[in-house]
Amino acid sequence: MAALKKEVVKAEEGEIYDVELSEDLLKANQRLADENKRFLHKNGVRAIDIMGAIGSGKTSLIEKLVQLLKNRYKIAVFKGDLTTTIDAELIARHGAETVAINTGKECHLDANLVKKALQRLDLKKIDLLFIENVGNLICPAEFPLGSDRRVVVVSVTEGPYMVVKHPFIFMEADVVAINKVDLAEAMGVDVKQLDKDVKMINPKASVVATNCRTGEGVDGVVRALGL
Amino acid sequence: MHEFSVTSQIVQSVLAEAEKRRAKKVTEVHLVIGKLTFLGLEQVRFAYEALTKDTITEGSKLIIEEQEGVVKCNHCGYEGGFKYEDDPMYHVPVPTLKCPQCSSVVSIVAGKECTIKSIKMMI
Repeated sequence: MAALKKEVVKAEEGEIYDVELSEDLLKANQRLADENKRFLHKNGVRAIDIMGAIGSGKTSLIEKLVQLLKNRYKIAVFKGDLTTTIDAELIARHGAETVAINTGKECHLDANLVKKALQRLDLKKIDLLFIENVGNLICPAEFPLGSDRRVVVVSVTEGPYMVVKHPFIFMEADVVAINKVDLAEAMGVDVKQLDKDVKMINPKASVVATNCRTGEGVDGVVRALGL
Repeated sequence: MHEFSVTSQIVQSVLAEAEKRRAKKVTEVHLVIGKLTFLGLEQVRFAYEALTKDTITEGSKLIIEEQEGVVKCNHCGYEGGFKYEDDPMYHVPVPTLKCPQCSSVVSIVAGKECTIKSIKMMI
């Protein structure tokens, strides 16, 4: 019988013991995101994560993307919201399989919620997944979900400084849609300046001007995503 | 904005570690928080105090070490702080993913962490 190697550290009563941990709590989400990505790839699904402020037009963009792409892809949509399923129903009308993810009070989706939602889908019937994050330009930047590409939607009605005020989410973006460009003049916002701001912060991001109500420019988003 | 949920994970990890070692009391927790996270340190402290109440971690000292953002350039090999654009229009320097030396696109290598570095406990 092998000798028992006892590794017992005995501390005296009341002694202070210093434990080195180096456990990264945000990395736990990153690991789950990596798992999601592997799982999606194994099933031949491309995933695109749509982020942006409340009312920037994330849902409208997804509606138009689904309309443009539904003949070429089998599409599913995860729709993150605090409580309602209003937007999820809007998207489902276009024929995409839609799963509403209600975060309750949480201000962002995380990889664990996406993992749970993935269990609701038959991935054999899907090859393209849009994940709409909770409306927020801050927290979602911190929680990768396992998507292949990340889109940020920013609209001219949010004012001229939205991009420079939130540099970190734009650093995460592969594609930026500057939305509601039809209202730029009325808002006194220069779309070219917003475009310049994005490229200053993140030179590798593609920038597309859109009007997601009419669908103008959405084909540019499709091209930028390589779909 | 999500300080409460992150801090709740921190406290859970600390308590699990303390339980594993049958500690009587946790006296100090040392965190490293990256400056590129969106964790407000005041809010983390507030949440920590509230979440450790009535546990063996109550009253422990919370040390928060901040980690600067570090980027790395694969083109010229630069490793260091961000390049900031100082546009007079915005009054604040805006961090960018451009290399300060050669203007290529850089990747972020540090500043996004939220780590429990060490815990002091009374056994």
